[in-house]
Amino acid sequence: MAAIAEASSVLRGRIAVAALFSAVGFSVVTARLVDVMVFGAGPVHSAASVPALPNRADLVDRNALLIARDLPVSDLYASPAAFWDTGDAAHQLAVTTGADEQRLRTAFRPGKGYILVQHAITPDMREGIMRLGLPGLDFVENHKRFYPAGRTVAHAVGQVDTDDNGVSGLELGLEQRLRNQTEPVQLSIDLRVQYVLEHEAREAMRSFRAKAAGGIVLNVRTGEIWALASLPDYEPNLRKLETGDSVRNRMTQDVYELGSIFKVFAFTEAVEEKTIRLDEPFQVGQPYRLGHYLIHDFERLGPMLPAAMVFAKSSNIGTAQIELRSGPEKQKPFLRNLGLLQPLKTELPEMASPLYPRHWEEVEAATIAYGHGISVNPLTFAAAAAAVVNGGTAINPTFLKHSDIQHGPRVISEETSRTMRQLLRLVVTDGTGTKADVPGYDVGGKTGTAEKAENGSYAHRLLISSFCGVFPIDDPQFLVFLMLDEPHGNRESGGFATGGETAAPAVGRIIARIAPLLGVERRDTYAAANPSTLHIVTSFGREF
Amino acid sequence: MIRILSFTLVVTTGLVCLGVYRIAEQARMTAVVLRETTAAILQEKQSMTVLGAEWARLTQPDRIQALAERHLHLSDRPAPQLASLGQLPPKFLPQPETAIRNANAIVPQPQRPLTALTPAQRAPTVAALHAGT
Repeated sequence: MAAIAEASSVLRGRIAVAALFSAVGFSVVTARLVDVMVFGAGPVHSAASVPALPNRADLVDRNALLIARDLPVSDLYASPAAFWDTGDAAHQLAVTTGADEQRLRTAFRPGKGYILVQHAITPDMREGIMRLGLPGLDFVENHKRFYPAGRTVAHAVGQVDTDDNGVSGLELGLEQRLRNQTEPVQLSIDLRVQYVLEHEAREAMRSFRAKAAGGIVLNVRTGEIWALASLPDYEPNLRKLETGDSVRNRMTQDVYELGSIFKVFAFTEAVEEKTIRLDEPFQVGQPYRLGHYLIHDFERLGPMLPAAMVFAKSSNIGTAQIELRSGPEKQKPFLRNLGLLQPLKTELPEMASPLYPRHWEEVEAATIAYGHGISVNPLTFAAAAAAVVNGGTAINPTFLKHSDIQHGPRVISEETSRTMRQLLRLVVTDGTGTKADVPGYDVGGKTGTAEKAENGSYAHRLLISSFCGVFPIDDPQFLVFLMLDEPHGNRESGGFATGGETAAPAVGRIIARIAPLLGVERRDTYAAANPSTLHIVTSFGREF
Repeated sequence: MIRILSFTLVVTTGLVCLGVYRIAEQARMTAVVLRETTAAILQEKQSMTVLGAEWARLTQPDRIQALAERHLHLSDRPAPQLASLGQLPPKFLPQPETAIRNANAIVPQPQRPLTALTPAQRAPTVAALHAGT
């Protein structure tokens, strides 16, 4: 009996143990069931080949048209040990991908590991590689920056290196923003205006056989740069320079003595300081002696000219006399106040600093008044000229779109700005810039023809010819600047290579083409309804 | 009783295991579908990215201008031809009655010499006869 009782006890113990295990198992299964049903199955770890995310945000123009975008491509790598015939593999891969065959042959030698065959394999190229049937190839997903506009906007936008890092232009200047932002970065550039500017600059460069050219379209109220072109340019999608290409942005990286176009500031200073009356006559018949130097005009403009016509006809002799009434002690701070003596700050990293004389005496003041002896980059000039015509407030040029009118520090009075606009209009109606006029748009502007320094003296045949146009002149919205480096006269220009004969007509064509795009209305009645207050001055000038 | 309970527990455990397996399998299949769908969406987005870039290249102003000049013979300097609606004259201008009463159909005679015209062109128009030319 005792044995039976003992056996029964053991059996019960075993059953209890089995029941315990079952209960534990059931609990575990129940807990997992509750976990799956109530809390879900947990995150799904995808092992699929998910395309790599773009490294950089898109760049778009002010109308949201694409300027730069990261496109998905692959980098091709190879394990040479897997090839039967490394020489044949190198040849086939070189033909299919465009890689350097000699480099591949060298890299495919025994003992070499994982070799990069080619960056940025396109889908078509990838298909061709797959058809080769070579073993040991691996595609690594990557991106390549693509610029649909190509050369048109190359200098402003810049480019990236093979690792998608910005190396020039806005790609470098906006590097952090492009890296951190997923939404497109909207620029102030208008691709349509950019195209017109680039096209006309190229045509002028070809027509006048110039060495280089460049242009800027700037909103004088908001400081937005709507277009910036520099020629020769380059194709950013090629990642290499072709013959004649240049990566130098001549509108920001180079400084020039801009010549008579600088008279804008001499006259602005004189009007602001009230050192002249616009109808006040100045002797311009003979070269002006200043110490050991003689100041000449491009052509003899008569024995005397009123101050307004000194500006309109661009007399160096008259301008020097006018500037010397203020003198260097007033001229230097005035130019500094306009931002012409310090480097301009924009999103573009390539920005040259102005060059000006350390010793600024009377001779320097006189020559700087007509644009010699001081070198600035054209964008700096344009920013200062915008302040002169926009009512007198400084602007900070920007490549980012915004619609706010800039209210920078006041640099000149509104009255001076109004007078300067009338003088600029006079240049186009009765002065050296008549070829820039566009009926209905009331263009004002100033011509510039500077001789380039060569071997310590000025070369009479090597010119920097430019024109700075503003429209509509009674209430300016846009400034158009165009510069030609070493133009040559042609039949159309009567053999002259001056700014009024080369750059001015090009600016006129640019304005005629872009004004409708910019929403500036034609005002054929303006001239009749608003007779120039300088009419008397003009008539006065003709009497001399 | 214990046997029945044990049997019931074992059967229930087995059924629960099957249920969990089925749910786990469904979850796995759903995860596969989700993964494929996510990849497909990304592929489509990439295609749109590429197509957007291609569209941007095709709509570049220089290409559009070249096409417009070749096929539409459009000028690239349209400023003189453009005006706002406000600059246009009213569509229906009230005409003074005297102007309407004095209206006639006299057409100015062409300036070209008759010898340069075809016989059909040489025939005087009604308007020309009326004008006595």
